[in-house]
Amino acid sequence: MSASKASRLGEEIWKTRIEKVNAELVVLTYGTIVAQICKDFENDYTEVNKQLDKMGYNIGLRLIEDYLAKSNTMRRCSNFRETAEMIAKVGFKIFLNVTPTITNWTSDNKQFSLVFDENPLADFVELPDDGRAQDELWFSNILCGVLRGALEMVQMQVETHFISDVLRGNDTTEMRVTLVRYIDDELPPEDD
Amino acid sequence: MATLIPSIACLGVIGRNNNPLHIQIFPSYDPATNTYIPARTSLQFHLLLSSTLDVFDLRARRNAAAGVGLSGDFGLLHAVDDRLAAYGFETNTGTKFVAVVDMRGRRVDGGRAPGAGGIGVGGVGTGGGAGGGQVAAAAASSVGLREGEMKVVFKAMQTAYIKLLQNPFFDPDEHSPLTGSGGKKITSKKFAADMRRIGENWGPGMTVL
Repeated sequence: MSASKASRLGEEIWKTRIEKVNAELVVLTYGTIVAQICKDFENDYTEVNKQLDKMGYNIGLRLIEDYLAKSNTMRRCSNFRETAEMIAKVGFKIFLNVTPTITNWTSDNKQFSLVFDENPLADFVELPDDGRAQDELWFSNILCGVLRGALEMVQMQVETHFISDVLRGNDTTEMRVTLVRYIDDELPPEDD
Repeated sequence: MATLIPSIACLGVIGRNNNPLHIQIFPSYDPATNTYIPARTSLQFHLLLSSTLDVFDLRARRNAAAGVGLSGDFGLLHAVDDRLAAYGFETNTGTKFVAVVDMRGRRVDGGRAPGAGGIGVGGVGTGGGAGGGQVAAAAASSVGLREGEMKVVFKAMQTAYIKLLQNPFFDPDEHSPLTGSGGKKITSKKFAADMRRIGENWGPGMTVL
């Protein structure tokens, strides 16, 4: 599916098939969760990142089904580039109403970046001023988990992580997605 | 010809238990040295803000007795001398915003406003180059400030305060001394930057901040 077709599709689904909720509800809920996890793990931000990723992973495992149903996708993406288009222009569009830009492909077409011009999860947020959060916490790390979980359900093992975040004072919010391998459909162990 | 127009000398945010949350002082024009320096010392501004608390209290009681609502714009609280005057606003949750205005705090030349001491005077007024002249004219025509002139300041301060509260890492409990671990001041850089923007840009006749 071409890029423009994907963005039309995303736009159409967003307009017709998605129930909207109040943005502040989502933003404040997510913010509170992150703040609470930080408290629970006594500001061990590496652990907080892990927890957020895990939560996202569990969301992704379920969300993919919803995504497939709403986007009416009946076939596989033919390559990883198409997958990227669908993630950015359909997936993010229908669930968060943002369309990250896809850039920085490696030559083997296995690694790309999603650059977020706006990040609804991080509205109003200012990272704690303890000298470490700015370097260690990835506030929106849940999104990494969501992608990892969702793609795993459609036979793609990926590795995702943020490499920059405007909350930390970087110019952009950028997530790096790497395809590790396509998971072959696992056959049940043979009976001898 | 240079005219002196009102500007903000100090902005204060005070918590519901009359605890100081954030105080920022802005330099005003000093004709003697032709530079921008604070009109009073930090301690004097603190005392001035403290003295407004009684006025808040009195007004709140009077309003409650008259049944005209609990909060909102309290208008002029306290005219200190012929230069400084304190205006106040209280939210329903008891957070108070105080703006101390220096009636001769900023110099405006006939044509264009100077940008001295890092003060963004360029944004003052209703439009571009003519701004300085219009503001000067407005200032000359009225002594003091018109009713409701400070509304835009408090609106902007409230917006900044709301933004601060939306930050999940901001814990309101920490800033309320009677309960819990409280008593801290606001340390948010964003909030401080918002306050600075409001204090530096405001001028009489402004409708947007």
